[in-house]
Amino acid sequence: MNDLTINNRINQTLDVIIIGAGFSGLGMAIQLQQANINNIAILERDKEVGGCWRDNQYPGAACDIPSHLYSFSFAPNPNWSRAYSNSHEILEYIKSLVSDFELQRYIRFNTNVSNITFDEKAGFWTIKTDKRKALKARSIVIASGPLANCSFPNIPNLKEYKGHKIHSARWDHNFNFSGKKVALVGTGASAIQIIPKLVKKVKHLTVFQRTPAWVLPRLDAETPQWISSLFRELPSAQKLSRQAIFALHEVGALGLIWNSPLTSAMQRVALKHLQHQVKDDWMQRQLTPNFRIGCKRVLMSNNYYPALQQPNCKLITWPIARMSEKGIRCAEGIEHQFDCIVFATGFDIGTQTAPFSVKGVGGRDLGEDWKRGAQAYKSINVSGYPNLFLTFGPNSGPGHNSALVYVESQLNYAVQGIQRILNEDLAQLDVQAKAQEKYNIKIQKRLSKTNWNSGCKSWYLTEDGFNATMFPGFATQYSIQMRQFKDKDYHRVSAI
Amino acid sequence: MASIDLEKMRQKIKNTQWALVDFDWGSPGAEKITTEQWPKLKTFMADLMWIEHVGARGFAALAKSAPTDNLREIYTYFHAEEQRHANAEMALMKRWGMLDKNEPPVPSANLRLVIEWLERYADDTPFNLLATLIPMLEVALDGALCKYLLETVDDPLCHEIFAKINDDESRHLGVGFTVMEMQGKGPHYIAFIQMLGHLFDPRLIAGALVYFPLLNSMRDNLIAMGMQEEKLYKSIAKFKEIGGRTDQGRRNPWFQVIQYHGTIMVDRSNHFYHVPVDMLVALSNKIPRRLLPSPPTWVAELTHRPIA
Ligand SMILES: Cc1cc2nc3c(=O)[nH]c(=O)nc-3n(C[C@H](O)[C@H](O)[C@H](O)COP(=O)(O)OP(=O)(O)OC[C@H]3O[C@@H](n4cnc5c(N)ncnc54)[C@H](O)[C@@H]3O)c2cc1C
Ligand SMILES: [Fe+2]
Repeated sequence: MNDLTINNRINQTLDVIIIGAGFSGLGMAIQLQQANINNIAILERDKEVGGCWRDNQYPGAACDIPSHLYSFSFAPNPNWSRAYSNSHEILEYIKSLVSDFELQRYIRFNTNVSNITFDEKAGFWTIKTDKRKALKARSIVIASGPLANCSFPNIPNLKEYKGHKIHSARWDHNFNFSGKKVALVGTGASAIQIIPKLVKKVKHLTVFQRTPAWVLPRLDAETPQWISSLFRELPSAQKLSRQAIFALHEVGALGLIWNSPLTSAMQRVALKHLQHQVKDDWMQRQLTPNFRIGCKRVLMSNNYYPALQQPNCKLITWPIARMSEKGIRCAEGIEHQFDCIVFATGFDIGTQTAPFSVKGVGGRDLGEDWKRGAQAYKSINVSGYPNLFLTFGPNSGPGHNSALVYVESQLNYAVQGIQRILNEDLAQLDVQAKAQEKYNIKIQKRLSKTNWNSGCKSWYLTEDGFNATMFPGFATQYSIQMRQFKDKDYHRVSAI
Repeated sequence: MASIDLEKMRQKIKNTQWALVDFDWGSPGAEKITTEQWPKLKTFMADLMWIEHVGARGFAALAKSAPTDNLREIYTYFHAEEQRHANAEMALMKRWGMLDKNEPPVPSANLRLVIEWLERYADDTPFNLLATLIPMLEVALDGALCKYLLETVDDPLCHEIFAKINDDESRHLGVGFTVMEMQGKGPHYIAFIQMLGHLFDPRLIAGALVYFPLLNSMRDNLIAMGMQEEKLYKSIAKFKEIGGRTDQGRRNPWFQVIQYHGTIMVDRSNHFYHVPVDMLVALSNKIPRRLLPSPPTWVAELTHRPIA
């Protein structure tokens, strides 16, 4: 095939349709292209690539895994300016993937997928979008992101507030904060990055906290010039450094995933960090978590605690009773009024639910099947939904390492599956229900021994406390399980 | 009052939140406070407000040590609600012109010691003790004080506010007594021995040394204001009655200790108790202010302003 521009192929049955143009979707296209699978398309609802790094442009947004590891191993970047790059730089990197690997031609922007249905006899998926014409593909990769949809907190009368509202993942760059009384709801990963920046811009900032998180010091630094030059001259040096950072994070798993002596050591470091930076006893108490470190996402910051203690900042831990026209009423009976409320309240978690309507064999519905807890085989295939691959499927999340290490394993696995469908001309490549069940029993058993399941409420767990988010093990373990496509666990139907 | 479903209770608490802005603080009625009443009422309100605030800190400690997520959340709300009561009472004081420079009233030396004790030890106090003691304080002090207040003050806004406060308070007591009964489950002797161990903990002895005089000085203040002592005693009888209405409730050893102490406290003829405790009251009033440590910062959270 010569002309790969997607608009010229739109009426054909494509080999692969990828949904989402974030790290995962673009990485998928690169890997397929390298395996010589070019009859593909990427559907993206936004008008730009970048996924969560396009959306999360709030002040202070940055990754919390070092950039040399939080990037693709097949597209190293010697020029990262800091250990933990900011969102802007990460977005530039993602855009460079598009130009370096010539991905533009595959992408259809402003195309929101609303449902996909499998045709068992013909062996292809029909994809409906907000555009009039439906698309067809032999296989699908869902790369719509684990944290792509903003979530607002469950506060009574949320809509009643008439002032300006901003969600951290849809930042309003036109709003002028200077001289304003601002509230920020949430004290999670985004919040602790925003607060130190925002407190410098506003007249007064009030931070509403429901539960405090463990915060470790962050060892961030600018990359010295000679390091970038070295990495440019000697790519193997960069590879080596990436491996070292990876190994260091793997060790961290010992403390973060399971309750080990390292867990207590980390908790002591976090507590010392708090006591060092916050002198007031009551505030220390407000900021001390009542769960084991690692149970929820561990945060890293050096300037969060100092920011909270600025004269124009106030931490409120009273439960929020409701919103009102002018602000937030808390259970202590006071109405706190604001010009603007920032919600740094996270996302609806993509690993736990179907992102849109997905209809598989015999009309079964993924949303229904996952109602009592999302399940997949090795996080990537779901029985009854042939020729469908998930990135960041159930139990694929790391708590201690770069998500992209996991994604790379998924991409490689999906390529192996898709190659089988195309080379063997299969109408269906479907994982066996038994294999999936066996895998999940093992996963849930291992999860029960982790810190995540040790009793705190977190976004890793569903309302009922089911963990469909995290992978209970080292990144290395995950990579090993994904290395080989296990043919005997799959059921095949040839195309006629 | 039967044992309640604590899950449903949490929902109910969330659905019955109110705020100071729900009331018209400029409405007529403030003038109904007589000049004769005014100075005594000022002392009374100051005490009441501080007791709410101290109760709030007690609930904060309970929220930390609560055995279940549900109770933890309930106590987190109760912590805030007691603070709301203190704020509302402070706002009433403001309305009646009782706040000097809009500052919270200065707490008595005895209350200062209670605050200091709470700050140091409340978070380490056994859950079972605090969960029994706080209902006692709520019945005895809150209950008696509020009743008295409503009988003597004619300001309609005060009545509106206290209708809300009493609603909250009845939920606090409902939970309080239910939790007290829960503690009566399980082998009696184990709980008893654990309690004995705690009784001799110096931190708790220090607690008793600030708690006993608090009760006695409150009694003195009430009498000075013309309230009959019986009201206080009736409240304590109520605590005994409800707390001990079931076998389980009676098996909670902390309930036995606290209700026994209540009995002694209302028995004026028990000189073994009252002489030394009254001396402690006198003594704590003699402590020079400068020797008292500066108040913890949670005290600064009090406000009479409905809007921040
Ligand atoms: C603020 C923030 C910081 C993070 N920091 C780190 C970190 O430091 N380290 C780490 O390992 N991980 C981090 N993560 C996790 C991050 O989600 C993953 O690392 C990774 O970027 C996910 O990439 P993705 O392509 O799978 O998803 P996304 O980047 O979310 O991309 C999904 C794309 O799909 C599109 N889409 C969604 N639904 C549809 C639809 N129905 N139709 C069409 N298009 C659709 C979206 O518009 C989006 O462009 C962070 C996440 C956030 C939000
Ligand atoms: Fe109260």
